[in-house]
Amino acid sequence: MAGSGKAHLRATGDVLLRVEDLVVEFPVGRTGLKVHAVSGISFDVLRGETLGVVGESGCGKSTTGKAMMMLPRPNSGSVEFEGTELTDLPAAAMRAARTRMQMIFQDPISSLNPRRKVRDIVREPLAIWKRGTQAEQLAKVDKLLEEVGIDPVRAGESQAHQFSGGQCQRISIARSLVLDPTLIICDEPVSALDVSVQAQVLNLLEDLKAKYGLTLVFIAHDLAVVKNISDRIQVMYLGKICEVAPSDAMYSSPAHHYTKLLLDSIPVPNPEVAVQQVTVQGEPPSPVLPPPGCRFNPRCPAADDRCRAEEPQLREVAKDHFVACHHPLFGGEAPVAVRSATG
Amino acid sequence: MSDIEVMLDENAPIIPIIDGAAPPKVRVRKRGRVTKWLAISWLVFITVSAIGAESLPYINHSCDQFDSDAECVTGTKANIRYSERPPAWAGFSDSPQKTEPARYGLMGTDKNGFDLFARSMLGARTSLIIAGLAITFGLAIGTFLGMIAGYFRGWVDVVIENLTNVLLSFPALLLAIFFVTFFNDPTTSAATTRPLWPVIVSLVILSIPPLTRLVRANTIAYAQRDFVVAARSLGAKGSRILFKEILPNIVPTLMSFALTGLALLIVAEGALAFLGLSVEAPTPTWGAMISFGTSALREGSWWISLMPAFMLFLTVLSINLLGDVLAQRFNTREAIS
Amino acid sequence: MNTRLQAASRQVDGPLLRVTDLRTHFRTERGLVRSVDGVSFTLDRGKALGIVGESGSGKTVLSRSIMGLLPGRNTERSGSVVFEGEEIIGLSLKDRRKIWGKEMSMIFQDPMTSLNPVMRVGKQVSEGLRIHLGMDKDTARATALRLLQDVRIPEPEKRLDQYAFELSGGMRQRVMIALALACGPTVLFADEPTTALDVTVQAQILELIGEQRRDRNMSVILVTHDLGVVAGHTDEIAVMYGGKLVEKAPTRSLFANMKMPYTEALLRSIPNIEDPSHTRLNVIPGRPPDLVNPPKGCRFSPRCEYVQPKCINEEPPLIAAEHSDHVYACWYPVGSPVYRERRAQLDAEKRRAGHNQVGVA
Repeated sequence: MAGSGKAHLRATGDVLLRVEDLVVEFPVGRTGLKVHAVSGISFDVLRGETLGVVGESGCGKSTTGKAMMMLPRPNSGSVEFEGTELTDLPAAAMRAARTRMQMIFQDPISSLNPRRKVRDIVREPLAIWKRGTQAEQLAKVDKLLEEVGIDPVRAGESQAHQFSGGQCQRISIARSLVLDPTLIICDEPVSALDVSVQAQVLNLLEDLKAKYGLTLVFIAHDLAVVKNISDRIQVMYLGKICEVAPSDAMYSSPAHHYTKLLLDSIPVPNPEVAVQQVTVQGEPPSPVLPPPGCRFNPRCPAADDRCRAEEPQLREVAKDHFVACHHPLFGGEAPVAVRSATG
Repeated sequence: MSDIEVMLDENAPIIPIIDGAAPPKVRVRKRGRVTKWLAISWLVFITVSAIGAESLPYINHSCDQFDSDAECVTGTKANIRYSERPPAWAGFSDSPQKTEPARYGLMGTDKNGFDLFARSMLGARTSLIIAGLAITFGLAIGTFLGMIAGYFRGWVDVVIENLTNVLLSFPALLLAIFFVTFFNDPTTSAATTRPLWPVIVSLVILSIPPLTRLVRANTIAYAQRDFVVAARSLGAKGSRILFKEILPNIVPTLMSFALTGLALLIVAEGALAFLGLSVEAPTPTWGAMISFGTSALREGSWWISLMPAFMLFLTVLSINLLGDVLAQRFNTREAIS
Repeated sequence: MNTRLQAASRQVDGPLLRVTDLRTHFRTERGLVRSVDGVSFTLDRGKALGIVGESGSGKTVLSRSIMGLLPGRNTERSGSVVFEGEEIIGLSLKDRRKIWGKEMSMIFQDPMTSLNPVMRVGKQVSEGLRIHLGMDKDTARATALRLLQDVRIPEPEKRLDQYAFELSGGMRQRVMIALALACGPTVLFADEPTTALDVTVQAQILELIGEQRRDRNMSVILVTHDLGVVAGHTDEIAVMYGGKLVEKAPTRSLFANMKMPYTEALLRSIPNIEDPSHTRLNVIPGRPPDLVNPPKGCRFSPRCEYVQPKCINEEPPLIAAEHSDHVYACWYPVGSPVYRERRAQLDAEKRRAGHNQVGVA
């Protein structure tokens, strides 16, 4: 696995965001080592599409989300948003560009300033950019708060810690909409919420997306949640992209061994479905010392010497379905007998 | 929200989250209510007395022995008739002076005949002004330096860190001596009072480093929180983030630190006065009063030194208690997901 | 491999654990928080019970309350917990400590904060062995090594001398399991053991717990909010809501034949990987009840789609369905005439509004 390559980038269509060869690395203290959080990935998002980014810890999905907003600026690579290259924009122009792309964070309560009243928090973006009179600003804020299901009067009197997690997330959503952005990056927005609240927030995002014509990038570790809300999914592992496909195709016919592992690991709420025997043990290695060749090779049941030496590139195996693997589960080269790995 | 976390943090204020009718209250025993109110009362009393030392009736009363109120309180003229008398309630002590009255006043009188109670109130004023001004300036400068060091990091942080280290390494004493001599104009006569500024500047320099460190640490912690990243993603500039997002969050910590710092500075000023590095007589400060009373202590007139010391002790204790209470009260439970 | 010696006086037959009307209330400034408000169930030897609920349902408080781990001040606990024939509510701290680790163990959600950061892993595991089983240092170390091998930690000899921060999340959780199993307890409480872990690691850890359960004939109480986790790894499931047990049944029966509208609504609000993308999720409106001032009747009534006046006024008792091992507390359970009527109404409304598929971009 290791997803370099740009076969999956689309030449036609209204591309809102295009990322190429994104690299983000963090130094580890003073040891001279680096965390290779994101190692040269490329992807794009069409206007009105929802791209789901899924992967486990250390895969770099959150870092990708933040890098798209230059928070912090990536080490190299290009991020083109609405035709403008963001990586070399000066600070002032970047601040202006940010009004068109917003972010929602994982921890709902920590993403709101605990000392400020909620209504002021939602109003803040309008105040920063001085859009409209105070009355107009408040009217817009109240309208958005009602739309997400928060009482504006209570919002005017209460601080963030007086609301529940689900409500705080809705307040965050309202705040992100107040500047009329075109793109919203959702970084694990429902991971910290209860199941029933999660459903409320997901439905809300779908409704708002339809109403305001938004484009979403939805980052999460829960494949079922990502599939529910996305049109297209990309699976990441240790800083690389494994597979990119439309949501339904990703589930019905996964091509990458890691995708299959993810799908098999999901606990199905149906006791009649037998629990898949765990065939792949271990955890993702540290992104400080990623393995050579395909980054998944230490755990992959189909890995061979080529996988250990050569990094696979993304290529098409079915319509609009791309995978970075030397021996994908279908559509690949000579079929390989999958070794059954014992635990 | 996990109820288990609520229960394990017993002192945290419980904030009502869910709507519903008000439930019947169950009494949970609260500790420290009485001491809190005692502390507040004492501080109010001291502040009021310090401000109105000249005109307050209970201070005035002790001035009966003087020919004029001004003389009594401002201490420009002593009435040696009543010098060195122990407090009225101290039946076990005797005055070295053998004339009547044997005892006088709430706290006795000193060698010059000044009523110690009146003088302590005046001393409160000077001590509080000095410490108060010092902590205010220290707060302002320390907060500013700490915030920019903690938010911008990089070379700004390095420069400020070095500055803090330099300031820390100055021994407070030498600093005070330096400033006092520097500001002391040798041409003026000894009768004029020494200015407050040298003492205040020394104390400010003393208080900047710990404040800067505290603010810097807090700023770093808050700058990593999602709501600051969110503010940046909304296009806010650094200065706006510092003042509207981060500062409101560190204010509670600052307030409690400021109170503790105030107490410390009062004591520090007392030490400086003890060594003659603070304002000169006749303007009394607690430290000066304690210092000049030590010789009398050896002779048996304990009240001259210990009464002001007692006032100092009570005030510092009250400030510290209040600081604790404020710290607890502002401790909002934030992340409860 | 049940290495535990049974005391002669202990009850051998009958349920391992019998909880009767357990109530745990906390005194707070806001009032009395009724976290666990009358929960009863039994657990047999070697069986796995899943306790499912959302935040505020009381499931975490329940497991700690049974073990007696809650802080004493401002906590009121009543009811009965009989473990192997002996009542353990009301035991002194000293007696409770004898049980903890040896008869009953718990593994927690966040392995990072549950392991001692300044003690080597091997020492943490062998500590329990030396205190409870009186082993000497060398035997304890050898047993600790064997335990780490049992929980499938790679390179176990190396791990014995490492500190918690040197291990990954999944490995730490395995260490915690080793710690919990060290003295061969009869009951293992697993309090959201995999919530903080990646999904592939979760599968491994759940499989490990199941394996240990079978090998040691140990009972497991698995507390989680994830219906998928309990579906595959438990014999019986208890659903909690608002501090009360609202439904309990053998796993297969529960999913095949749900009685409580809450359980049904919960299941339908989970995105199912098999559903096509953009399937509208079923939402449970409102929020969990206030445990200080819960609703008078059924605690779920403010949020239930099928609510009737009786639900609001009278609290439904826990009753058994046709076979006595499926109990539930609902006046108009799934499948009853009132339910079916209302369900038809709701479905008709949905069809009219065309809500099954949100417009795909």
